[in-house]
Amino acid sequence: MNPPVGHNRTTVSRVLVRLVLAVAAALFLLPFAVMLRQGLAEDWSTVGELFTDDEVPFARSLLNSVIVSVPQTLGQLVVCSLAGYGLARVPYRHASKVLYAVVATLMVPTAVTFVPSFVVVSSLGWLSDLRGLIVPGLFSALSVFLFRQYFLDFPLALEEAGRLDGLSRWGVFWRVVVPNSTGFIAAIAVIDFIGSWNQLLWPLIIAQDSSTWTVQVALSSLLTAQNPKITLLFAGAAVSILPVLLVFVLLQRHLVRGVTETGLKG
Amino acid sequence: MNRRGALAFWLFVGPFAAGLLLFTYVPIGWSAYLSFFDAHNTVTPTEFVGLDNYTDMLTDRAFLDSIGTFSAFAALIVPTTVVLSLLLALLVNQVRVARAFVRSVFFLPFACSYVVASLVWKMSLFSGVDTGVVNTVFGWFGGEPQAWVGTVDPPLYWVVLVTVRLWLQLGFYMVLFLAALQRIPDHLYEAAWTDGASPGWQTFRHVTLPGLRGALVAVLVLNLINAYQAFDEFYNILGDARGYPPFARPPLVYLYYTSLGSGGQDLGRGSAGALVLALLIALVTLLSGRVLRRSSS
Amino acid sequence: MGIETSRRSFLAVAGLLGLAACGSNTGREGSAAGTLRHCYHAYGEDGVQDAVRRYAAAYPGAEVEVQWNPGDYDSKIVTALQNSAVPDVFEAQVKVDWVRQKQVVPVGDLLGDTRGDFVAALLESQTVDGQLYGIPQSIDTQVLFYRPSLLQAAGVTPPRTVDELLDAVKRLNTGGVRGLFAGNDGGVGVLTPPLLWAAGLDFLSPDGSAPGFDDPRAATVFGKFRELQTGGGLLLGAPADWSDPGAFVDGRVAMQWTGLWNLPKITAALGDDVGVLPFPKLDDSGAVSVPVGAYSAMVNARSADVEAAKAYVRWLWVERTDHQTEFATAFGAHVPARKSLSDEAESLRSGPAKDIVGFVVDSGRIASPSRWSARANTALSDAVSRIAREGADAATELRAAVEVARGEISRTGR
Repeated sequence: MNPPVGHNRTTVSRVLVRLVLAVAAALFLLPFAVMLRQGLAEDWSTVGELFTDDEVPFARSLLNSVIVSVPQTLGQLVVCSLAGYGLARVPYRHASKVLYAVVATLMVPTAVTFVPSFVVVSSLGWLSDLRGLIVPGLFSALSVFLFRQYFLDFPLALEEAGRLDGLSRWGVFWRVVVPNSTGFIAAIAVIDFIGSWNQLLWPLIIAQDSSTWTVQVALSSLLTAQNPKITLLFAGAAVSILPVLLVFVLLQRHLVRGVTETGLKG
Repeated sequence: MNRRGALAFWLFVGPFAAGLLLFTYVPIGWSAYLSFFDAHNTVTPTEFVGLDNYTDMLTDRAFLDSIGTFSAFAALIVPTTVVLSLLLALLVNQVRVARAFVRSVFFLPFACSYVVASLVWKMSLFSGVDTGVVNTVFGWFGGEPQAWVGTVDPPLYWVVLVTVRLWLQLGFYMVLFLAALQRIPDHLYEAAWTDGASPGWQTFRHVTLPGLRGALVAVLVLNLINAYQAFDEFYNILGDARGYPPFARPPLVYLYYTSLGSGGQDLGRGSAGALVLALLIALVTLLSGRVLRRSSS
Repeated sequence: MGIETSRRSFLAVAGLLGLAACGSNTGREGSAAGTLRHCYHAYGEDGVQDAVRRYAAAYPGAEVEVQWNPGDYDSKIVTALQNSAVPDVFEAQVKVDWVRQKQVVPVGDLLGDTRGDFVAALLESQTVDGQLYGIPQSIDTQVLFYRPSLLQAAGVTPPRTVDELLDAVKRLNTGGVRGLFAGNDGGVGVLTPPLLWAAGLDFLSPDGSAPGFDDPRAATVFGKFRELQTGGGLLLGAPADWSDPGAFVDGRVAMQWTGLWNLPKITAALGDDVGVLPFPKLDDSGAVSVPVGAYSAMVNARSADVEAAKAYVRWLWVERTDHQTEFATAFGAHVPARKSLSDEAESLRSGPAKDIVGFVVDSGRIASPSRWSARANTALSDAVSRIAREGADAATELRAAVEVARGEISRTGR
């Protein structure tokens, strides 16, 4: 559906709009062009060099990013959708108190609690340990809140049909609610994955040992080093954004929905 | 029955609640505890110092400056983001040919990390050598090459810091505005025209803008909170192997260096600062949300 | 989507989670029990990493794994010492807070009868309360490199005072070549210590009981530094920082403040057209100087096997003089930390290298005293940055830094 704002537009203003958009689009694409040009200018040999360079364990850091981001995204979906469903649908005397306790933490941004969280994770012995990177990220109050809002609107009739078929609440959740919510789950998943892949502050603190660096920490270390190897850095940057670009292109529909949901409801 | 209800509830909510307790509530509590101790290089301090860490932080010029830096940054980034992302949304909303493609182009940087964007901005676009992209363009018009990151007086580094964040986040907010625009029902526009409103500014002022109120509030608040938490681009563009300069040092960067970085490993002051900051963010979020909602209703 | 599919995907999710929890490779499970981990910062000189890996592999007493750290190495180390058994051995300059929290162990007993062979001032800089915590690996120093041909063309004599330096920087700024490069921060990071010494001041008073820059002359000398920033001859925004010789060898500047370690690259590029100077003095109450520092090998008190870590340190940094000499002189130029080795080092016997060794002996000053805390250092460098780069009032800024330093001295003295 197109809002009729443009109905009475003259040709001149229509051309102007397109011109402005074209210039803006070119500006937006420029940084990507720069990255590819600087990183892969000669040929693909820089990429090979990147994976064999002994300065930074780049291949290892890419693998670490996968090992962190994929389970973190999937785990967060499971933990938070369960909690969101429980808060929305399972009657319990203290449910509203629990909901307050969840929503209250939204006021305290996780980035501000990095010092105390570091203290807890280091006490668990998870410094320089991939568990320290993955596990704390599973418990997102924002995701729980969004799932709860979504499940509040989930058609009750569907759930009741499931109950009549003899399913327990747990069964209804997995066999009725989840299969009928794939669009919403995908939306949250895409947002989570991009956030997880791109985060810097937490892995910077926890991954002391270079064998646990994520790709963002590796790039950041190279960037703030005394003598940055610029070509390698750009090649590394180009390689590091490939997975997210892939997710972006394949799942853009869900991504747009996810942004709209997280932005407008959160 | 009651007990079974509780059991079912905790079956669903339990795993999350346990995690929230361990990774959010325990840290906040522990942090509060540390903030009353001399906790240099230790998380199990023994020397109680009362409110010293708080008075120290609240009179610490560097910490107060960091809040000033945030304010300056927010004053630059919030209005520009709101105006430009709204403008993009309005423009994209008007094209019909290749609209999805155009939208994707503006949204694409959302997939890019702050680290990668900082790299491109620092080492290429705003590189201080005369072959830097911006300096090259300057050269065409006879301008002198500038050290964009290194020039403090005038503070050219703000150009670098603001543009990198604009590039990364404009698409995100544009998508929010686009969604809101498409929720405005057609009949409101038709009614406005019947009432004699011209299709340009008047329609925008009386139909579009009121229809975007919710989205505007969301964009402003999200943007403000995100600016408060700025770390990545500042750390990567201005930090180096020796540390971080005293200007353009936002609160999180200062707390990072104070508590965990090379600035002292002072977890007592770091915790006190983090709690003060958390309180400030909560206040600002609540206030801005309330003020905006009131002024728009 | 069928019910079965969703159940299978749930199992897949659970499986992945389980895998992640058990299979997370921390680099710890991967290495054999008793492996020692040894951290270095990323040296810019080619070949150092290969060499230290070679030394580690040659150690007969245990498996040693070398970790190489580009970026903000100092932050990595302080955070690791917080609560981690990794690394077992690392290079750093000892900080009094590490000793107070018992995060590092004394290593003085490893020296034995070689103690007298090490440069005494270096040992002193790694000592807290009479105990040695780090074994100096090699001496790093920084000097002012200049191109005699460019100075001659501009009619400038090599600067011996701060005023002459300011004048030279201004006059050498011609034809697209800048006068001086001292880092992309305008030199705040590296020039603060020699500026203090130029005025006859220091971080700490001689007995260490008070800040050493509580003096009007500090405002004078940092006022000069402000003039240097505004004079226009300083290069900013170079691709690599002061520690890399790029700006100097590429002909972007006539003078650069950088490390002795770059000397081989510089002479390779510029041949005989290289001169070196210590940092000039403010006036006769101050002194010319070169900062002297030494990354020292230290042992983490939380190491799973402190004795094994110490034995390895003794082997590498006390016994294996061949490795020590190669480490100091084969990759970029450094002065060995032991007199017997620096006397033998061929590469230091002629040309600019010989001059620099002379500066170290005559005018070398310790750039990072163990009693000078990180917070005091941040306060001073913030003050210098504001004075020099933002034009803030020198006396006010320095007074604030003196206050912080005084508080830190009394805290760490406890």
